[in-house]
Order: sequence, then C-alpha cells, then structure tokens
Amino acid sequence: MEKAKIKASQMFILVVLFEMGSAILVGLGVQAKQDAWMAVLLGLMGGLLLFLIYYRLFKYYPDLPLTSYLQKITGKWIGGLLGLLYIIYFIYMATRVLRDFGELLTTTIYTSTPLIVINSLMILTIMYGIHKGFEVIARVGELYFGIVYFMAIAGIILISVSGLIHIEFLQPVFEYGWKPVVGTALKQTITFPFGEMVVFTMFLPFLNNHKKVKLACMGGMILAGINIAITAAINVATLGAELFTRSNFPLLTTIGKIQLANFIERLDVLFMLYLVVGGFFKISLYFYAAVAGTADLFKFKNHQMLSFPIGFIILFASVTIASNYAEHIKEGLDVIPVYLNWPLQIIIPCFLLVIAFLRNRKKKKTPSAS
Amino acid sequence: MRKIFVISLLMVLVLSVLSGCWNQKELTDLAFVMAMGFDKGENKKFEVSFQIVNPGNVSSGQNGAGQGLPIAVYKSAGNTLTEAARNATKMISRRLYYSHTNLIAISEEVARDGILDVMDALDRDPEFRTTTQIVVARHSTAEELVSALTNLDKLPVNKITKELKTTESMLGENTRVNIDDFLAGLVSNGKEPVVNGYIVKGNKEQIGRADDLQKTKTETFLEANGLAVFKNGKLTGWFEHEKARGVVYVLDKVQSTDINIPWNGKKHAITMAPIRTKTKVSVHFKNGKPIINIAIEDEGFISEANTDVDLTDPKVIEKIDKLVEKEIKQQVMESIKDAQKIKSDIFGFGERVHRANPKLWKKLKGNWDNQFAELKVNVKVDSYVRREGIRTNPFWFNMNK
Repeated sequence: MEKAKIKASQMFILVVLFEMGSAILVGLGVQAKQDAWMAVLLGLMGGLLLFLIYYRLFKYYPDLPLTSYLQKITGKWIGGLLGLLYIIYFIYMATRVLRDFGELLTTTIYTSTPLIVINSLMILTIMYGIHKGFEVIARVGELYFGIVYFMAIAGIILISVSGLIHIEFLQPVFEYGWKPVVGTALKQTITFPFGEMVVFTMFLPFLNNHKKVKLACMGGMILAGINIAITAAINVATLGAELFTRSNFPLLTTIGKIQLANFIERLDVLFMLYLVVGGFFKISLYFYAAVAGTADLFKFKNHQMLSFPIGFIILFASVTIASNYAEHIKEGLDVIPVYLNWPLQIIIPCFLLVIAFLRNRKKKKTPSAS
Repeated sequence: MRKIFVISLLMVLVLSVLSGCWNQKELTDLAFVMAMGFDKGENKKFEVSFQIVNPGNVSSGQNGAGQGLPIAVYKSAGNTLTEAARNATKMISRRLYYSHTNLIAISEEVARDGILDVMDALDRDPEFRTTTQIVVARHSTAEELVSALTNLDKLPVNKITKELKTTESMLGENTRVNIDDFLAGLVSNGKEPVVNGYIVKGNKEQIGRADDLQKTKTETFLEANGLAVFKNGKLTGWFEHEKARGVVYVLDKVQSTDINIPWNGKKHAITMAPIRTKTKVSVHFKNGKPIINIAIEDEGFISEANTDVDLTDPKVIEKIDKLVEKEIKQQVMESIKDAQKIKSDIFGFGERVHRANPKLWKKLKGNWDNQFAELKVNVKVDSYVRREGIRTNPFWFNMNK
C-alpha cells in the first residue's frame, strides 16, 4: 500500500468528479422518461444508505483498504478470493468507462480514428498519473474541479438564456406510475453511479482526518447527485422526453442546441472537455483501486510496477469487451447491474457488515469477561 | 547514457501522436454544404442538390469581395441520402462538410411522399446539426430553390434563415422550424408538424444567373410563402396569410404583426400593430372531454388611422381594442377550424391533454385525429392599445371639420 495522505476537501472533489464522471454524459435513468431526474434522486438516496454500510466497515478497520479487511472478516482464503473478485471488477469497470469514453469520441468528432488510438492516448496519461501516486491524482482533481464547474455553470446559463428550457416537457409527472421510476432507480441509478462508491473503500484510509470521511464522501455524493439530476431535468426540458430517450448522449444534443446572438453556438467542445476530464478521473480511480488492491493482496512493496501491466489489460480489454456500441450499452444496462453491481456493491458488503459486526461484538465481550 | 537514449526515443515516438494529424481536414479540402435540396429522382429515389459555398467569393470587407458567384450547386442522385452524398464525390473535388448546413429544402413532391426516408440520416449524423431549418419548396423544385441567388445577402441561405427570423417577429405568418421541431412533431401522437413554404418567384430561366443580380429588381427572387401542414409524415395542405398567422398565434410565436379593423363603415380603416404578444394554451375537462382554452394577450400601438376618429378619447381606444380582439379571435378560430377539417393537430393540443391528464390521454390517443376534429376550443383575446405614435388625431379629423 502506498502511504498517501489527502485532505478532506480533496476527497470531496474526487468523489464529485468520480460520481459525475460518465453518468452525466450518458442518458442516466432514461427508462423513466421524463421522470429521469426523480430516478436519479431516488438512486442517490439508496446510494447514501449504501455508503453508510461502507462507512461502518471502514469504522471497524480504519487503516485498511477493502482487500485487506475482506481477509480479516472472512478468513484468508475466502477473503483473498473475494478480493481478487473485486480487483477484477475494478479492472472491468475501468475498461467499461474507457470504452464509453472512446466510443463517445469516435461517434462524435473523431469519426474515422480507430478506437484503440483514442483509448491508448487516454490510458497512457492515466498510467502516468497512477505511477505518480494517489496524491497527485487528488491534486489534479483540485485543479480540474474549478474548470468543470465553470463549464457547467456557463452551460446552464447559456441554455436558459437561449430560451431552450420548456418546463412543461417534464410533465406529466409519474405518467406510467411510480413503478418505472423505482425500477430504474433500483436497477440502474443506485448502482450506477452511486453504488460505485464501493471503489472508495480502497481509498478511505488515505484521508488524513478520519472523522471527516462521512462529510467528504456523502457531501460529494449529494452534490454530484444533484448535479446529475439537474442535468437530466435540463436534458428532458430541452429535448423533450422522446428525443431524450432517442439520444445516445443527450447532453451533447442539448449543448448542440444552444444558439445565442448568432455566434455563441456549436459549443460541443464544452461537452468534449468535460468528457475528457470526467473520463480521466473515473478511469483513474477504478484503475488505482485495482492497482492498490493487487499490491495489497499479493504483497507488492511497490504499486508502481503494477500500473503498466494493468493499464495494458484495461486498454486491450476496452477494445475487445464488445464488438459494437449497442452490445456495450446492452451489457451495461442489463447484465452489469444484476450480475456485477448488485452482488459486489450491495450484497457482499451487507454480508461483510453482518459478519464484522458479529466478530467485533465477540471481541469486545471477551476482554470484559476476563 | 541509457537515460538520454530512452528519453530521445520517447520524444520521437510522442511526436507522431501529438502532431494531431490523424484525421486532419484542411480548410482548402472541405466543401461547406450550406443547403441541401431534395427532389424526387427519375431512376433513383432522390435527387439531392448540394449548395456549396465558394469561400473566396464571399469574403467580407469593404472591397475584398471576389468576382465570381458565392455558391455552386451540384446535384446527385441516390436511393438514400448517404448514397447521393457519396455519388456527389464524383463531381466535387473536396470533401462535403455538413457542420455549417443551415437549410434543408424539400420539394412538394417529396414532402407529399417520402420525406421520412431522409430524416434519419439528418438526425443521426454527428456532423450535421439538427438545429438546421427546414422548408418546403412550393411550385418549384428544391434544386431551383437552392440554386437561386440573392442580392442583399451574398449567401442565399443567410437570406432565407434571416428572413424567416424577421418575418416571424414582424408579421407572424411563418415560423422557424428546424429538424428537431419537425421530428418532435412527427413522432408525437398529440402534435403534427408545420413547415415553412418557400417559393421562387419570377422567371425561372434566370435562376442562378449572376446577370440577374445586376438589376435593382431581379427577375427571380425567393419569398416565404405559406405554412405546410403535415399529417402522418405527409404534406396534406397549406395555410396561407391570416390562416397561417392564426396557427403561429396559437403556437405562441407571433410577436408583432398588423391587425386591420373597420371604422365608420370603412374597411381596413385603422391598423393596430402589436409589439408584444403572449399566447397561453390550457386544457380543462368537462364530462371526461377535454376543452382547450386559448388566451392571447397583446399590447401595441396604432400605426395608421385612415378615417375620422378621435384617438384622444379613451373610450374610442377601448372600442378599438374590442374590434382588434374580435379580428384576432376570428383569424385564430378560422385556422383552428381549417385544421380540424383536415384532422391535423398542428397546435399540439394533444400534447397539452397528455400533460394535463395522462390517464385520459391513453384512451384518446388512438383516435386523436377524430377527437381533435370535434374538440371544443375557446379563444379569448385581450388586446391593449397603449399609444398612437407621434400624432394624436389623424389629419382626417381636422379635414372634415
């Protein structure tokens, strides 16, 4: 394990950037049509509850990352196996985000550049970042947080000044009842992006002040959740529910609609900038979690030597995991939440918490008895 | 030594990536498509005319303008839009570039049958913008429309898009419709799209000839003309003049216009020009049936009074208000009746019902065309004359004394 120390504010920023990451770019909660924003908020609430589970686990083992306390809780072999599972999961998720990132660029502006070229440029940058360590990534986060917010605020002002927002497009609320909204929240928005906070179980020990974990992480989740919900609402209010569901990247379509004063138009570049920044942090954190996990599990003294092999795995997997974008998205919507996100983000942590609770109660009782 | 070798190797490797030349498109290798015109083809399904800007000849500046024509038009055929565009490369030395396309013109024939087959290509392409405006070429082919030259604006596309903007806000018989609006209307159950008509007036022989521009009164010119009404993706009819204005009124796109009212038995005696107009459409339900309420509110000034009228009297102003209200209401009612006759809900009343009562909408949606035809619509107009220009009473007032 690296001996990194970061401030609460840096942690907060990383959480915000990680959570918004790719979630803002794709049509999150699109199955709930015009109620997408509600599905996002519902997902946020679920995500906050989930985070409390991760937080409890962290309280039991404040100096250990997930892969270490897995072994403490469930024993060396099962824990090691579960740890390996988590590492593969982190690598796979990093792969998926990298693919998302590459697909977005190849469908929108670099239409004739091969995917692997775009992906390798991104992963090389990230490998360099990982090589430099967690503190560096956190500091880069501070730098980009301001830029992202500047773009977001500029974007919102421009959209509303252009008169594109039609609040009535958000109606009728609950057209198909509350079921699709809750269904979307359970199947999608709880796990993506809020449940992905499971990655931070690897990073929580890095925080220099352990008392601020809850504030930094949950605050970051709430801010990111509200941002995503606002984005979803703006997308629907600008495009209408029908075009919103038909768009691969609704935010891109929304930004493309800005036409102000005959010269402020075609601002797609704002979207692309955000895409690169958001993609960088999301991939970096997953990647780093995988690297740190591997180093921890297999007792590597130096995590740096792992960044290259794992980086190349991510790069080549990102090109091969799906043969086309439709397949990639279908997996993301139907397979990942049920077979990966739910077990790894929700079910296993719940079990861990129960076992940890029982074990620690025993521990506490024994000294008082003796 | 080894370190220096590695670093210099890296620098060389990085060079190939950082130059950013992967897929570069030089400005001189691009043909900027400003407008596209769709006509029915003879052998193939479509004939597509690409209006391409000739950059050297439109350079702005006091006397920097070139000598030649600002645009060039190429026509190619294809069964799909992509096929036509690729066939066009046999004629055009540069790569067609669609990011700056501002106008899609569709011939009446294509609009009546087959417009749907080009829409997805326009919607899907990452380069093309769906904020591009769409017009129907009336009484002429789309090719003629995109080939015409104009005199005030060098680029004919700019003339059309600017003109639509101006006439929308000054007259309100046309309204800007882009690909997104059109598609939203096509897809929605509760709304049908309208599209502007455009007409090439005058001598068609002179279309696209530079010598025509040498005259102060060109022999051919372009004019916005009517609103095309669509139903199930096919052009079904045209709304003209006041009827078109009625439609634009309900769509809340009218800002200013002119309303003529009779006075003292004289027709068109007083003209009121609204400067601000606001339309609110709401729905209420009675016995399980939707009733549409349209409330139009406008304020403006009297721009003409060609009769003996005492404009200093507030009572007279009030009377004028009432007459203007009646006139606007009549125009709007007539448009609505005409739309009901052809059972095409161009006003989006269905969407209002949908938003207000989704449950009832589920029942009505299947048969909305007929429901719309029998829909009860109330129109309420509140018009206010605020001022009357820089004269009080017209000269007629003193003349008859």
